[in-house]
Amino acid sequence: MSVRIDGDPGGAGSTTRIRLFDLARPSRQHILGYILLAPAVLMVILIIAYPLFISFDLSLQDVKLPRIGETRKPFTFKNYQKLFNSSEFWMTCWVTVKLVSAVTAGSVIIGVSTALLVNHRFRGRTVARIAMALPWAVPEVIAVVIFAWIFDSSFGLMSWLFIKLGLTDQMIAWVSTPGPAFWALTVTMVWKGFPFVSIMTLAGLQSIPPDYYAAARVDGANALQRFRWITIPCLMPVLGVTLVLVMLWVFRDFSIIKVLTEGGPLKTTQTLSIMTYDQAFGFFKFGYASAVGIVTLVICVLASLAMIGRQSRAMY
Amino acid sequence: MRRSPLKSALLYGSVIGSLAVILFPVYWLFVTALSTTFELSGLPPSFWPENPQWWIFGKVWSERPIPRWLTNSAIAAIGSVVLSMFVSVLAGYALSRFRVRGGHSLGLFILTAKMLPATLLVIPLFALFSRLGMLGSLWTLIFAHSTLIIPFTTWMLKGYFDTIPRELEQAAMVDGCSPLGAMLRVILPVSAPGLAATALYAFVLSWADYAYARTFLVNAQSNWTANLGIATMRGEYTTDWNEISAAAVFVAIPIILIYLFLERYLVGGLTAGSEK
Repeated sequence: MSVRIDGDPGGAGSTTRIRLFDLARPSRQHILGYILLAPAVLMVILIIAYPLFISFDLSLQDVKLPRIGETRKPFTFKNYQKLFNSSEFWMTCWVTVKLVSAVTAGSVIIGVSTALLVNHRFRGRTVARIAMALPWAVPEVIAVVIFAWIFDSSFGLMSWLFIKLGLTDQMIAWVSTPGPAFWALTVTMVWKGFPFVSIMTLAGLQSIPPDYYAAARVDGANALQRFRWITIPCLMPVLGVTLVLVMLWVFRDFSIIKVLTEGGPLKTTQTLSIMTYDQAFGFFKFGYASAVGIVTLVICVLASLAMIGRQSRAMY
Repeated sequence: MRRSPLKSALLYGSVIGSLAVILFPVYWLFVTALSTTFELSGLPPSFWPENPQWWIFGKVWSERPIPRWLTNSAIAAIGSVVLSMFVSVLAGYALSRFRVRGGHSLGLFILTAKMLPATLLVIPLFALFSRLGMLGSLWTLIFAHSTLIIPFTTWMLKGYFDTIPRELEQAAMVDGCSPLGAMLRVILPVSAPGLAATALYAFVLSWADYAYARTFLVNAQSNWTANLGIATMRGEYTTDWNEISAAAVFVAIPIILIYLFLERYLVGGLTAGSEK
């Protein structure tokens, strides 16, 4: 296929024909852009935007089990009113905040320290790096199987360890006692979540130019000072984004909580995400569940915008 | 700079120590699978079984529908990877190369989609699929997993295409390629590592799903995915920890293998676009 260039100095005016759909012309190239974007736009509308609209619509109706195409129930704020007046909702918010903070703190502390550790030069460093982030590759449901057995109430390893250490004198029913259930859940989620922090931190560490450290050494900075004034500031942007991504992950997680504790005992491990699901598929209150889900989404978006603010582009 | 012996002992000590703690749960999964029920119901626990019962893997493989679960998971994963890669290669390329009106707002929307709780989307999708009579079919997972995957892959690929110099296409077009041809014949082959990383990442995302499978397939036992099957085994009245652990090993191994062999690519994909 030959490409004709407009305004070709060798050609007479009559030979520069403008072909309407000649996508090679720079002025027409954006058309190709739209064509390439079309499938994505279509998919996003079909599987994300439209369902989202249905959710929003459901949350404003008094419906149990909806059927698409059925005549719409009358418009009402009932679900939201009920939601904000229910003590369960506020308790669930509190559990969510606690879980998000505990898991994020744990994952960041362990993730950053393991990254700093394997960032040293030593033999077998590559193997150590791969092994350190291995939990990332274990599917969530499988991680739960492992930890459910470790935290088992009759023959679990964790209770045995606690007895050995003299912290308790009997087996603990981890998953079915309110306080311990929360910590069992936190440990499981941190184990699954810290490798991501570790991987991101390591990438951040490696993008720090070695010259910075060399220059600091020349100026007589010791290891602690180099860490405080070079490593930490250079890591901050990456860490900020990572922190938000980890928080969002905990906020939205379903499988770990559902399979490990089912939100119990006494809803002490029920996050907003679990509440949304249970209201819909446990109690078949689709309207109410949608309201919980919409509120969850709004909190997610607001929280991440507030935290990253101007840096939000970095999440792309 | 050489380290003093004390420092290097300290370094190796802490690396080995933390690896031991981090990898212990994975080790414990294998040990549990290989232990007899008798060994598992006693304390103190044995950290290596006296007679490892290797046959447990064969037993679980033939007595439980593991092969079927794995096949279903693979079908759902491959299907959603193909669908979302097709869509997001085109979109990622367009967002990277062309100034498209509305491109920015599409970007913002996709960013928001990354924050969508699966438990919120699962409600309308359930209503939709039930209306279409698709509940119980693996197609539901292919579409639903794409809602999780497309936002990620589009931005990963856009970031990757941004790193490829535009001169490549320009050269191809001077040599007589159409813009589409330049993309298909020049840019895509050059981006193979990025495409592979993205596709694998998408595969891992789909394989890990539990929420959608549980909701759409619960009444269609023959279409259960691996995670759904395992979670159901855990919910049975008497949990045989060695059997469920052996089954769990089968489900975890494909992803762990992908990770071990392609760690570099996967990690590259994970961190793509999030630095700077």
